[in-house]
Amino acid sequence: MDILNLVMDPLFLGLILGGTMMGIIFGAIPGMTATMAVAVCLPLTYSLGLVNGLALLLSLYVGGITGGLVPAILLGIPGTPSSITTTFDGFPMAQRGEGEKALKIGIVSSVVGGLLSLVALYFFAPLLAKFAIQFSYVEKFLIILFALTVMAALSKDMLLGIFSGFLGIFISLIGTYDVTDGGNGHTRLIPPGTGYWLDGGFALLPVLIGIFGLSVILEEAEKGMPRGQSLKDIEVGPHSRFSFSVFRGQIVNLVRSSGIGTFIGILPGVGGSAASILSYTAAKTTSKHPERFGKGEPAGVIASEAGNNGLTGGALVPLLSLGIPGDSTTALLIGAFALQGVQVGPLFISQNPETWNAMIIAMIFANIVMFITMYFAIRWFAMVIAVPKQILFPFILMMCVIGSYTINYGIIFDVWTLLIFGLFGWFACKVGIEIAPFIIGFILGPSAEIYFVKSLESFGDLTIFFTKSWIAVILWVLILASVAASVMIARRAKASADQTS
Amino acid sequence: MSGLTQVTIDFQTSHLVFPILIGLVLALLGAAILVRDRRAILTSGQMWAQVWHSMDRVRFFGALALTVIYFLTMVPVGDFWPNTGYGFLICSVPYVALLGLLFMHERSARNVVTVLAVAGIAPPIIWWLFSEVFFLTLP
Repeated sequence: MDILNLVMDPLFLGLILGGTMMGIIFGAIPGMTATMAVAVCLPLTYSLGLVNGLALLLSLYVGGITGGLVPAILLGIPGTPSSITTTFDGFPMAQRGEGEKALKIGIVSSVVGGLLSLVALYFFAPLLAKFAIQFSYVEKFLIILFALTVMAALSKDMLLGIFSGFLGIFISLIGTYDVTDGGNGHTRLIPPGTGYWLDGGFALLPVLIGIFGLSVILEEAEKGMPRGQSLKDIEVGPHSRFSFSVFRGQIVNLVRSSGIGTFIGILPGVGGSAASILSYTAAKTTSKHPERFGKGEPAGVIASEAGNNGLTGGALVPLLSLGIPGDSTTALLIGAFALQGVQVGPLFISQNPETWNAMIIAMIFANIVMFITMYFAIRWFAMVIAVPKQILFPFILMMCVIGSYTINYGIIFDVWTLLIFGLFGWFACKVGIEIAPFIIGFILGPSAEIYFVKSLESFGDLTIFFTKSWIAVILWVLILASVAASVMIARRAKASADQTS
Repeated sequence: MSGLTQVTIDFQTSHLVFPILIGLVLALLGAAILVRDRRAILTSGQMWAQVWHSMDRVRFFGALALTVIYFLTMVPVGDFWPNTGYGFLICSVPYVALLGLLFMHERSARNVVTVLAVAGIAPPIIWWLFSEVFFLTLP
């Protein structure tokens, strides 16, 4: 299917329109996220095919990340974790009657951030993929190790972050050492009496859906299903009209924040909240009026929203060039590729140019649809905040069951996997296990095993991981640098905490 | 010296190499966490007591119980009409209704009717979409 046929295909366009709007709705409801939207809609992609399925999921992603700005500005509650810094200035603006203005600033910043990150994706991912084609098993293993250390280093607690990543790898190894991947076909780590179900290990999608769908609902149930907002609480505010002149003098902020968001997206597993926090901090520290930040400064909303939408294109760079997801939502996209029997990695773009182009087009269209629908219908989307959770959550759980059951064409154990990992996700939050490294470890664990064991089978020497090539040496430098940076950040945080106490 | 770094992997036992290595790393990390956070771990009973005290037990355990019953009943019910997805359809209606009522704060007639209407309409639409349009296997 060429590009012209694609953009004329009503199904493709309809899925982008529907996906973006559904994503905005998910993002706008506090407690529901873009990741949850993608998890819930994954089963829809079974019958849609890869291109249309990806169009739907990517639109959900773009819409979901943007939708979080609605409650962040109108209620001071981030709809998604990545819109946390939008509350700092967006909510004070809404409180003084500039809700609509703040929302439209956020929408424009989001579309700019999203589109700029796509430019980076379009040019950078193929280059990185071409470079990564040269990688042997050794470099591939080190790339995974680097991804895990970066994620762990940027976790709230580095030690727990590393532990979570390795726990994810460990659980992913349950089952058979697959012959198709070069393994010997033997099983391991299967508890007695569970061989019938665990012979193939835990399926990826039920694990993801459990952690990002069911566990969120369990957390809300634990909190007593906090009451949603009533329509009368939602005041968009007519007092101050939006004008594009508000962006005068903010172009640098807009481009810098989009760049930061894209860069953070490229780092595996770091997530949107880091993107928006770093963009916001950069905008504040370089502003002529830092004292205005936190009191309703439009530059704060611009930085936060350009930053978190910059993430959308950036997070796809490592996924499509190295096969390593950039964040939790793109981790779910691996599931969509797996459903269609397509492997993402360095060869993906060169072997699937049509799919690659379709993904870029889908994301451009999703950003445009997001901008048009939110800019002109923001008052309607604002009402979404008031949709009662007692209606939404049972429906979502039902969709989670479909997603889990249909993954392997009807195995009920996959539904129980959903429950097991839903409970695990709830428990993990309580004890401090970090979900992002766990998930990335779970996804990359089997590949890490193949690359590690095959490297040793081929070379028979542990030093090969250090001496194979100059790329291996650079990767070790990056691994050590990420650990060192994390230790420094932790020490500074401790020192500043000691000072304040 | 070079002998220390040399490794020979027997193909027959190669499935155990990486799990053992990861297990050892996990054990080391776990020990480090135990040593570092020993005080917090020793007093974790208080944390769980606090969680137990502050949680909405009816909604939390009610949701869990309904979900377990839903999962347990879907397949046996579906076995009466194999390959039709009726097990999913028949069990989803009461599940959505009961979960909606459980999560509801004010059980006014209007709210109850809304939840019951959603429970009556949403599962059949979803069943039709996935089973009849997309031809997916449902319990």
